[in-house]
Amino acid sequence: MKDNILDIQNLNIRFSTFDGLFTAVNDVSFSLGYDESIGIIGESGCGKSTLSYSVMKYLPSNAQVDGKVIFKGDDLLQKSDKEMEAVRGNRIAMVFQNPYSSLNPAHTIGFQLDEVGIHHQKLSKADARKASLEALELMNLGDVKAIVNRYPHQISGGIQQRVCIAMALLCKPDLMILDEPTTALDVTTEAVILDSIKALRDKLHMSLIYISHDMGVINKVAEQIIVMYNGEIVEKGPKQEIFNHPTHPYTRALINCMPRKGVVKENTKLNSIKGYVKKRGASEKGCPFADRCEKKNDTCEQLYRMREVGPDHIAACDRAYATDIPDKVVKPVKKVKKTVEEVQDEEKEIISLDSLTKVYGTRKKVYAVNGIDVSVQSGSVLGIVGESGCGKSTTGHMVSGLYKPTAGKIIFNGKDISLTWKKRDKETLKDIQLIFQNPGRSLNPSHTVQQIIDRPMKKLGMESDKNKRKKIIIDMLKKVDLGKEYLTKKPRQLSGGEQQRVAIARALTIHPQLVVCDEPTSALDVSVQASVLNLLNELQIESHAAYMFISHDLNVINYLSDNIMVMYAGKIAEYGTRDEVMAPPYHPYTEALLSAVPEVDPTKRNVAIELEGNLPNPSKKITGCPFAGRCHKQVGPICEQQAPPLVQVSPTHYYYCHISAMDV
Amino acid sequence: MKYFIYQLRKHPLAIVGIVVILLWIFAAAFGPSMLNYTYTQLDSDHQMARPGENGHILGTDSLGRDILSRIVVGSRSILTVALFTSIVSTLIGILIGFSAGYFGGLTDTIFLRAMDILMAIPPLVLSMVVLGILGDSTIFSLTLIVSIAFVPATARVSRGVLLTEKSQEYVSAARIRGESHFYIMFVEILPNTTGPIIVEATARFAYSIMMVASLGFLGVGLQPPTPDWGMMVIENKPIIAQAPWTVLFPALAIASLVIAISIFSDFVSKVLVHER
Repeated sequence: MKDNILDIQNLNIRFSTFDGLFTAVNDVSFSLGYDESIGIIGESGCGKSTLSYSVMKYLPSNAQVDGKVIFKGDDLLQKSDKEMEAVRGNRIAMVFQNPYSSLNPAHTIGFQLDEVGIHHQKLSKADARKASLEALELMNLGDVKAIVNRYPHQISGGIQQRVCIAMALLCKPDLMILDEPTTALDVTTEAVILDSIKALRDKLHMSLIYISHDMGVINKVAEQIIVMYNGEIVEKGPKQEIFNHPTHPYTRALINCMPRKGVVKENTKLNSIKGYVKKRGASEKGCPFADRCEKKNDTCEQLYRMREVGPDHIAACDRAYATDIPDKVVKPVKKVKKTVEEVQDEEKEIISLDSLTKVYGTRKKVYAVNGIDVSVQSGSVLGIVGESGCGKSTTGHMVSGLYKPTAGKIIFNGKDISLTWKKRDKETLKDIQLIFQNPGRSLNPSHTVQQIIDRPMKKLGMESDKNKRKKIIIDMLKKVDLGKEYLTKKPRQLSGGEQQRVAIARALTIHPQLVVCDEPTSALDVSVQASVLNLLNELQIESHAAYMFISHDLNVINYLSDNIMVMYAGKIAEYGTRDEVMAPPYHPYTEALLSAVPEVDPTKRNVAIELEGNLPNPSKKITGCPFAGRCHKQVGPICEQQAPPLVQVSPTHYYYCHISAMDV
Repeated sequence: MKYFIYQLRKHPLAIVGIVVILLWIFAAAFGPSMLNYTYTQLDSDHQMARPGENGHILGTDSLGRDILSRIVVGSRSILTVALFTSIVSTLIGILIGFSAGYFGGLTDTIFLRAMDILMAIPPLVLSMVVLGILGDSTIFSLTLIVSIAFVPATARVSRGVLLTEKSQEYVSAARIRGESHFYIMFVEILPNTTGPIIVEATARFAYSIMMVASLGFLGVGLQPPTPDWGMMVIENKPIIAQAPWTVLFPALAIASLVIAISIFSDFVSKVLVHER
């Protein structure tokens, strides 16, 4: 026991709310040794964050906690707030999900970092600044002297998060808790941060608790893995064990539901976990996962016990006893009929963008989209991928009519529709639908599901009879796996996945020809993402609508798209059919993006190409290659000075780079 | 209802506020018919009677009029004016604030500057001047002028909440299906802004009671013989040394109602705005 830095014993956390007592963490015990890292994984609402907050005693006043949280021999739960001050930030440090909201926008980075030293270690101002600079240097932040004088809004999200980690490091804590530190960031920045966390641990020998919902990320940073479901630990063990022999059905489902390299829509249907995390009362028995488990039997609802399945590897599944359940990592099997062949005869360009450009602002210009030429065939899916700020959403919004292009044309079925919604005719409004990123915000919170789906049908003149419309709505709800009872519900009563289904239903009931999906799954849990992707895919095949699918996640794009367009700084970096883009030769940026995706398989270790720096300043017109400043394959000054030429690899595949196809 | 009780339990002070408000509403509705004296009746044998004397529960003033009866009858006019003021000023405020915020640009500037000009004049001074010019105040003119004096505040609140809602994606979704401005403003956005607007309206309710009482105190409120709380305070001021109750009870009436409504408004804002 003595050699553990943290021992959590039978921890229960309950919140008393209007609906009664709600158990957030139920009978959780685990321990963490010195210089060890543990990853906690689970969907949102599984109590991961609550668990970690309890270590810091950061719980709201309506929480009831019992159990023991022993940190270096002291029970933290017995300590007063005053005593906790010596522990918080000093011995245990925490990094939160959103760096932008955890840094104070009114103070410089240096001031905020110095405060930690001055407050906790009683350093003088000069010494505190010295310590701050050292901590920043540990994070490989280049010119640290310049960074300390900046304000949070002057640095990018990735650097902000690294500043937050540096702040956590200042007091040389023994334990660091990272609560989804990279979830709000791009894959490329995520890769950089994960690498620097690894480097830090080698240098400073501290223990780590890393919370994430992404198996790939956990794979990169953790040695031990705890899988949590609904406030309970369902599986716990060393990383290798968990990835090679996931025993609890929930763990397996989590691993399998992620779209990954080589998984495409033609041959696989993504595994999804049906339903969603339900709130449980304090007294309920049995396996918390029972209601969503595909392999449950009668005993599941009664029994819930941890069983040893391997060395240090325990799982809370009844069937885990018999370790030889055949399907270790289930290969997704269900075939989906081919999409391309069916529509090939009538394939025509449904929409084409002709050097589409968007410049925001009049005095201070922001070049968001700089001349994009691309077209979408009817019934096909164009995936647009790129980091945030590359102009992919702006492109989608221009197509759907939220903004008017500054220059260039959008030709839709032969009509020029480079207009805003105000000037588009009914027909066009109906034929182009947009699915937003955040369903919680794109559905009006005070309208019912029926009103939400009904309105476009009524407005865009599909059906004038109210009862007929209601029937159509019910049919559509069935198609998106929602029942009749959802008609009268309001968006707030639905989970994120259900909300997005309603948004999809709203877009598809009026039979549009083109659906612009603006990151429809990025606000959702992986398990829900899988089912939404399946749904989008099925409905696309059924309706023959063309999709313009915008995402920052290459795996998702890879799964769903027929053609892929990689965007960088408002320009096309690479375009081609899916298989062409996902295989060499690559544009260097595509290559970097692909390498940054965290791998779910622990045996495969891909080395991420680290992209340093930021996107080029969007308020300047770029003469050379926009990617030049960050490119790992830069050939010389030509990159900065001349716009890269188009390299045609095949009739359908091209990219813009100074390096020819042979050399890439 | 269950949720309401749950919230009340969390904010016990609100119960006091609600009870006081209900008492006043009850008094205004049924009070006058339950009392021994009417508000104009002069009990000439008991001028400046102490509270409790000759059935005058709160005493009488220098003319021998029953204080309690005058307060109870006065509550009718003050509650009516306050209620309509908060409704009218909120409605006008929504209309102006929403159009300013929704259309933005020049419309916004014009509306905002107009509001600024109106705001530059203290509402009390504005109402005094206008009422002074109009002559004898009636419930109607009082309501109208106090409402107008309050419009800048309600318009600014409505504009503010509209601006936060306007950036929501459901508004974009409505736009790209070609909805009219009117539909977007009042069917899409309005239902989501009720929380802050109701809070503002209840706050305005309390302010307008203060305002009506102040106007009465300054002599431009409702004219006699209608009893007005503010007026009762000022007309009994000369005899405050001999009969302090004649001033104390009307003043207490004003204070209790204003404080009760403020507590209630606070509760409403906690429930409607912060708990979401």
